[in-house]
Amino acid sequence: MMRIKTTGISEFFQQQFIRLAQGIAAVLVLVLITATVQAQEIDILLKGGHVIDPKNNINSKMDVAIVGDKIFRIAADIPANTSKKTIDISGLYLTPGIIDMHAHVFHGADVNSISANSPGGLQADAFSFRAGVTTVVDAGSAGWRNFPLFKTQVIDRSQTRVLAFLNVVGRGMVTRYDQQDVTDMNPEMNAYMIKKLHPTILVGIKSAHYWGDFTSVDKAVESGKLANVPVIVDFGEHSPPNSIESLFMEHFRPGDIFTHTFSEHAISKTTGGRESIVDVKTRKVKPFVFAAQKRGIIFDVGHGAGAFNFNQAIPALKQGFMPNTISTDLYNLSMNAAMKDMTNVMSKFLAMGMGLQDVILRTTWNPAQVIKRPDLGHLTVGSEADIAVFNLKKGNFGYMDVGRTKISGTEKLEAELTLRAGRVVWDLNGISAPQWEMPAPNN
Amino acid sequence: MNKLSNFRRLLSSVFIVPLVIGLLFSVFAFQSKAQDIDLLLKGGHVIDAKNNIDRKMDVAISAGKIFRVAADIPAGTAKKVVDVSGLIVAPGLINMHTHVYAGSNSGFTDGTSSQLPDAFAPRAGITTVVDAGTSGWRTFPDFKAKVIDNSTTRVLAFLSIAASGYSNDKAQENIAEMDVQKTAETINKYADNLVGVRIGRYDGTEWTPFDRASEAAKLVNKPLFVECHLPMYSLEDQLNKMRSGDIMTHAFENVSERMTVVDEQGKVRPFVLAAQKRGVLFDIGHGGGGFWFNQAVPSFKQGLWPNSFGTDEHRTSMNSGMKTMLNVMSKYLNMGMGIPDIIARGSWNAAKSIKRDDLGNLSVGSVADIAVLSVNTGKFGFVDSGNNKINGDRKFEAELTVRAGKIIWDLNGLSAKSMVANK
Repeated sequence: MMRIKTTGISEFFQQQFIRLAQGIAAVLVLVLITATVQAQEIDILLKGGHVIDPKNNINSKMDVAIVGDKIFRIAADIPANTSKKTIDISGLYLTPGIIDMHAHVFHGADVNSISANSPGGLQADAFSFRAGVTTVVDAGSAGWRNFPLFKTQVIDRSQTRVLAFLNVVGRGMVTRYDQQDVTDMNPEMNAYMIKKLHPTILVGIKSAHYWGDFTSVDKAVESGKLANVPVIVDFGEHSPPNSIESLFMEHFRPGDIFTHTFSEHAISKTTGGRESIVDVKTRKVKPFVFAAQKRGIIFDVGHGAGAFNFNQAIPALKQGFMPNTISTDLYNLSMNAAMKDMTNVMSKFLAMGMGLQDVILRTTWNPAQVIKRPDLGHLTVGSEADIAVFNLKKGNFGYMDVGRTKISGTEKLEAELTLRAGRVVWDLNGISAPQWEMPAPNN
Repeated sequence: MNKLSNFRRLLSSVFIVPLVIGLLFSVFAFQSKAQDIDLLLKGGHVIDAKNNIDRKMDVAISAGKIFRVAADIPAGTAKKVVDVSGLIVAPGLINMHTHVYAGSNSGFTDGTSSQLPDAFAPRAGITTVVDAGTSGWRTFPDFKAKVIDNSTTRVLAFLSIAASGYSNDKAQENIAEMDVQKTAETINKYADNLVGVRIGRYDGTEWTPFDRASEAAKLVNKPLFVECHLPMYSLEDQLNKMRSGDIMTHAFENVSERMTVVDEQGKVRPFVLAAQKRGVLFDIGHGGGGFWFNQAVPSFKQGLWPNSFGTDEHRTSMNSGMKTMLNVMSKYLNMGMGIPDIIARGSWNAAKSIKRDDLGNLSVGSVADIAVLSVNTGKFGFVDSGNNKINGDRKFEAELTVRAGKIIWDLNGLSAKSMVANK
């Protein structure tokens, strides 16, 4: 509002002075408020670590500031006094929270089930945080019929973010026989469950353990098309084995996932098996495998109890074939065998010569993109503060494959600190805890 | 009979019979030597409290049992030899306080708050876990069928005096369901699995639940295992009611549910020391809230040592300051307890306290449950239930775990064959 009024000259200056004073006071107050806000805004400051964030092309020493459950700032030197809590992580690597793209976590009491509501499925929280993992993707333990149970019994009770591929079979992964039931492969129901009911949890479709032709894969792809999600295929039990070239080039769409990439099975006449990507005689990666990856087919490790052989992985890496995603296939039979946990599988790739940045890319931003969750797997300001802090231990370590063959390595990743949505959920050596001192006697 | 045949007989008796016997004997001896040993752990430092062994020894395993423990057993006599030099070879560890009745319900009993034994035990050198009363006489058969019979880890259990075990609902506090006879009958029926009676949660003032648990334990001649969730009972009264051999868990807690063992002046309360002297045993029962340095450190200095390293394994303790049994043992290593004392409490002492003298030792003929541990050096931190940290420079790690002669954990592939280059 304009005020036009004639005033005396002294009155004019008086008014100007008052305005000036008011202005200065306002600025001062603003500066004060800003300073207070800055000093209190940061809840946790992770200071002095080496940040690897492949999405944002960061591979250098940086500080990471968290406010609430979000990444607030990443910069070379954020003053410690601007944060409520500062954790010194110098000498350690800081990465986005690790995504394990292939696990079985539909834990439950049905001892006759392979991994649906079964002790064969493990509790996500028991294996995730202590390995730097903040997101696990269940690989088809539940189908559309028992997904609601999976959600209430496991997903809603887990601190770990649990996402899932829905099994193409409605009953999920109960027995090997259930997996053969083509009458229970219902693309409409699958797509409905994913698109309409649980779009924030269900990221794709799983086909596994099928003995026949391509029916299971094709039904999964059909479901995937309806729901606009990728399929992940365990191609292990076809008798006789189906052509993986046909799978990659004819049945898969770009973005579909071949898991158990480095398995090498003796092909049984009775139970079939899985054709390997490296020719077992020449030890050369089959040419169509490179073509398939170029076409956009995703190759996932899915280590498991029977699906990772050095005879496949080492020649493949040497010949320039890298898996797109590194995952565990965590379940009861793999947990205490050669697989162990996510850090062990990641370290195995370090021992085979893959660089640390490449390993982190394949366990963060790559799987996030594969499951179409671009909100995950990076440290962009504003994204949820899922963070892993690793110690890269030096020493003599051994790594086994599923045939109990061993290679040695000089490095091993160890999860020092894990944050899920801005909260410390794992702290191996108490780097976020205050020092204890014997209390003085209270007389 | 002619002379020739006599001569032949002589020949045969002089040469052939001894020859045959000798041949047979040498074949037999060779066989027994070369094939009897399935697995030879060579060059490790054996710590076996029961047999007073604390030195470099080889350990031979045959048919799932300890076959021989000696200073130098030739590698050629075993089907498989694993070099464990530089490592500790101990009896398989016993975790005295766990909740492993894992299932689909919310809460502990047949629930998602319990843990699967095989998910945490082998990787921590543990071959036996003792469930702390997650089941009662009504639920034990289900616990056995679902978990115990399906685990590689040996699962023993204290039976809760509450009929259903450690459920979240108030039903567990129903005194009418606390049946001494049924509890004792169940323990006798499943004597291979059940090692005692547990009194867990009770909010009332009357002593009936405690007394019934104690009576059931007495009936079966097994220990009473006492948890802390009994807010109306004083610590002194509880200890006074406990017999020699009964076990107080959560020994070093500092929570409102029970009086602490250390007083405000930093002294272990005299009646606690008196109970210890009388034979009451103290288990750590670390859990999420049950282990505080302001209790454990003064207690350790004043002689109140834990008899066993129960972790109180469950969903919320596993990722807290507890982490693993080896992490809990490492806390005592850095508080000043010697390695042999720690190993004894993690194996033989624990076995004796549950009257399972067949476990926790490496005597010839015992089941071959073995933990091969490394002691890593470096800069480590250890956190208590109040999120306070102490620093340390040594930490246990499980390299190899053997259960009934079978390798169930091999961290660095010590028992694996090396990859042949250029294959």
